[in-house]
Amino acid sequence: MEYFIGVVSIVISGILTNNIVLNQSLGICPFLGVSKKTQSAVGMGLAVTFVITIASCVCWLLYTYVLDMLSIGYLSTIVFILVIASLVQLLDIVLKKLSPSLYSSLGVYLALITTNCAVLGTANSVISQGLDFFQTLMTGVSIGLGFTVALILMAGIREKQALYDIPRPFAGFPIALVTAGIMSMAFYGFSGLSFA
Amino acid sequence: MEIFLYIIVPILIVAALAAIFAFCLSYLGDKFAVERDPRIDDIERNLAGANCGGCGYAGCSQFAEALFKGEAEIGRCNPTSSENKQNIAKILGMSDVKSEATVAVVHCAGGNRAADKYDYQGFGDCQSAQILAGGSKACEYGCMGLCTCVHSCGFDSIAICKDTGASKVDRDKCKSCGACVAACPKKIIGRIPKSARVYIACSNTTKGKEVASVCKVGCIACGKCEKTCPKGAISLSNNLAAIDYEKCIGCMKCATECPRHCILPIGDGIAMFDKIMAVKQKQKEKAAAEAAAAKNS
Repeated sequence: MEYFIGVVSIVISGILTNNIVLNQSLGICPFLGVSKKTQSAVGMGLAVTFVITIASCVCWLLYTYVLDMLSIGYLSTIVFILVIASLVQLLDIVLKKLSPSLYSSLGVYLALITTNCAVLGTANSVISQGLDFFQTLMTGVSIGLGFTVALILMAGIREKQALYDIPRPFAGFPIALVTAGIMSMAFYGFSGLSFA
Repeated sequence: MEIFLYIIVPILIVAALAAIFAFCLSYLGDKFAVERDPRIDDIERNLAGANCGGCGYAGCSQFAEALFKGEAEIGRCNPTSSENKQNIAKILGMSDVKSEATVAVVHCAGGNRAADKYDYQGFGDCQSAQILAGGSKACEYGCMGLCTCVHSCGFDSIAICKDTGASKVDRDKCKSCGACVAACPKKIIGRIPKSARVYIACSNTTKGKEVASVCKVGCIACGKCEKTCPKGAISLSNNLAAIDYEKCIGCMKCATECPRHCILPIGDGIAMFDKIMAVKQKQKEKAAAEAAAAKNS
């Protein structure tokens, strides 16, 4: 039972209380870059969720059964980057074949998942927290969902914003950054949630 | 032995991981390869490859795809030579394409010869000068020579002319992508057919008297070119002469007759213009000599 509560708290923390974008300020580049249209925001969010989940699981396996066994844990960052880059390349190949429209709407941001610090950050935090495999899987999924939620919320706001008469000095990126700041303050409201 | 354990083994492990990933990726790359019609590659090979974005697509590759699908017309690409455009038309199964190469041109030759409104000492950019009381030149339509177009050009084909102080396009380098046309805050850069021999080097639409007070080489809409043109290709509108290049035969009469020197020769018109002016100069000298002789006798 305690284990189950732990998993639930991981999920809640990944999506709301410890949102990777709005509370930890990781993965800001796609958060600002792909949040102009809800449709591509959903696509990007799911792509990142996929990469984060698979990457943290593969990284966990590699770390536990290869790096830690051979006591070369200090190489984890390099190996993780290798894993993430390969996974993004894999996603690129598969998406190009299976969903060309999503592929073209993600554009350059798909390749940028490689350098998305949210992915590497999740892999690292999973290792440093000493979670087991199932918890790692759930962490990956929930952090990815948290990223997707933040991206969709932002896209919804920015789609509305595009219709408003914004003063010229604020138009475009400045207002997006201000919005992101206010959203992140709003997400601090969730920090009272706790299951422990 | 310790060196082996602490350095060689980690290197081998990371290299082995990389090799495994590379193998998986190349296998999947083959399995999931997207087949593209080879004609798209053919079209792309025939395009200029400038990737200027003048057609409205992200690059030549996307434009080639749109061409193949029939979403775009080949005429939207300016850098591609007409010969290659014919090749593309053949690939697409079209009989012929009608599109003429164009080139950017600055419709102002005022520069130093136009009066200044104030001494601009600012950021050094036309946009910023334009915000400040509508530009540093007394002429609202004059090139300020502050290089916004020069910086916008991806092909290094536009520069400030040292003689006039206004910007000038290098016809050989210009790909007619339209970057400078969009960048100029005065909106005095336009595109004309590459075969054109003359162009109007003024954009001022105010009355003749006002033009004369701010610029030595501005169009005062005197109408001499309109009367001179044998084909009726020049018309006056908004106090400014305009050339209809479909009718223009490049006889150079307008350029030689313009009293304000604001219809300028361009391309192969320049050599022709010089020849005509030399003949005119000779005739003038001859007439002067005859007049002097008549006076003496």
